[in-house]
Amino acid sequence: MRRNIILLVVLFGICAVAFYFLLKLPDNSARETGFSRYPMVHQPKRIISLGPSITKGLYLLGVQDRLIANTIYCVDPPEAKNKEKIGTVVEVSIEKVFNLKPDLVLATSLTNPKARVKLKNLGVNVVTFSTLKDFNNICKQFLELGRLVDKENEAKEIVKSAENEVISIREKVKGLHKLKVFVQMGVRPLFAATGCYFVNDYIEFAGGINIAKEAREGIYSREQILKENPDVIIITTMGMAAEEEKRIWQKYETLSAAKSGRIYIIDTDEITSPTPQSFVKTLEDFVHILHSGE
Amino acid sequence: MRRKVFYWSAWILVLFCLLLTVMLFSFCAGPVDMPLKKILKVIFEGRGTSEYSILFDIRLPRIILGFAIGGALSLAGVILQGMFRNPLVEPYTLGISGGAAVGVCLNIVLGLSRGLGIISLPICGFLGAILVILLVYSLSIRKGILKIQGLLLTGVMISFISSSLIMLIMSVSHTEDLHGIVFWVMGSLEEPNWLLIKLALGIAVFGLAVSYLFCFDLNAFSLGEEEALHLGINVERTKRLLFIVASLLTGFSVSVAGIIGFVGLVVPHFIRMFVGPDHRILLISSFLCGAIFLIFCDTLARIIIAPLELPVGVITGILGGSLFIYALSKKQVSLGGK
Repeated sequence: MRRNIILLVVLFGICAVAFYFLLKLPDNSARETGFSRYPMVHQPKRIISLGPSITKGLYLLGVQDRLIANTIYCVDPPEAKNKEKIGTVVEVSIEKVFNLKPDLVLATSLTNPKARVKLKNLGVNVVTFSTLKDFNNICKQFLELGRLVDKENEAKEIVKSAENEVISIREKVKGLHKLKVFVQMGVRPLFAATGCYFVNDYIEFAGGINIAKEAREGIYSREQILKENPDVIIITTMGMAAEEEKRIWQKYETLSAAKSGRIYIIDTDEITSPTPQSFVKTLEDFVHILHSGE
Repeated sequence: MRRKVFYWSAWILVLFCLLLTVMLFSFCAGPVDMPLKKILKVIFEGRGTSEYSILFDIRLPRIILGFAIGGALSLAGVILQGMFRNPLVEPYTLGISGGAAVGVCLNIVLGLSRGLGIISLPICGFLGAILVILLVYSLSIRKGILKIQGLLLTGVMISFISSSLIMLIMSVSHTEDLHGIVFWVMGSLEEPNWLLIKLALGIAVFGLAVSYLFCFDLNAFSLGEEEALHLGINVERTKRLLFIVASLLTGFSVSVAGIIGFVGLVVPHFIRMFVGPDHRILLISSFLCGAIFLIFCDTLARIIIAPLELPVGVITGILGGSLFIYALSKKQVSLGGK
């Protein structure tokens, strides 16, 4: 027994020493890699976009020839499909990104945080854009994007014109009857566009009332929706699921959206990856949906 | 006896060679194509180039972490299977991984890792693991006798409860935290923090060393607890210590690499088919084989649909499960020295 204890103590000692040396090993993450660290690059020439809305924004700013790679979700504009692909919006191949020697990587909050940290450790200039909260936020991030790729003036102009259009649309719908709207972002679980998400702005700017505005979480109950009784339901998922969901809603006879047949399906890409310009376009669609009868 | 030692050394040598081959394979394969010739050139002359960084900053850490996590998980499997004399026991079926997962999720949601640093993640994982193992153990004891069936059932139930708890945490957490949890649950050997990788390696080797001290006790356990007691083993103390080691190994693995299934269950069985139930050889060869298996699976996950990356759990599940069924149909497995 005593032998066992002595052995254990000795082993602990060895492990402690080994641990100490292990921790003292040179930290590879801090080692200088082949790249110099760019705090802020002027006119980045090799840009990688990790989000569809960022890709769209880069095309809008006219810097598509400096975009060297994007994700497989970047399908708009169609030319973006031909760029080199480095992964999905969430999971990117660090090796591939690094090997392309980018001088600017534009990530989103959806990008795997470990991948972002890893790339930063490797000396890659990674800028992360946060979740889009409202229209102002979209504009702000677009201006930031413009600043990063040295197209500040163009970005300002695009934002300015988008803002003006939004103002004029809001003027137009001001006096119109306000409808209760529910925008469904996901089918299973039933996911609502809450007040802290930019989709809320589509509804409010188009002169509607978002019934899920005050909800803290996106997951919403069908009962609650029936109780709120929206006049319009807009479903933003693709394919079969959306059609089926539409049929489900139509079965509720007391629901005013079902009674008047005002259940619509909108393309997900259009709605969830906005630039200031596409925001205006989608907003017009919303206005059309809400007020076409008036 | 001498023949046995010879046989064992041969096994360890074979496993070592396999380990080196797999490591080399993992080092050379990836979404960025590099022929062997170029790799050699880069290693010797390429300091500072991007290829050098890809090899040593991206691929090497993953290999080291795969070695540590694979070894630790299958070691935990061997220890638990040996202690409970039950072939189905492993960190997952006992709910230890689930407990660790809940601990880590709570940490992410409560923002502890922001306040206390990255090191709080493994600590929470360990606490969750040990809590579950104590719970399972105390629930399965009736009048001082451990009921194996009860133990497994409790474990499975606890792992269901913890996966529900994780979903509960996910559905009430904010979007940013949610992303963190989702990524972490998917399980990946990508880890930017070198400190955690080194710690994982340290703990895995430490676990091997400590459990090796108890290899005779584990052999005695395979006769039954009472017999072990008669053989002069302090059963309660040994069990407690081994419990702590197993939960330390599992808790740390889960908190660094997320949920990676199957390694702890399949590898020990597989190795037992070849080297027999003696824990003197079983412990070390399971450790090596687990490391080989996980590094290999991770490499496949990286290259199979490059540049997209599969969660490593997908590969360990499919490959491990089907290999195991194949081996089972070929040869009757001998379990725990029976």
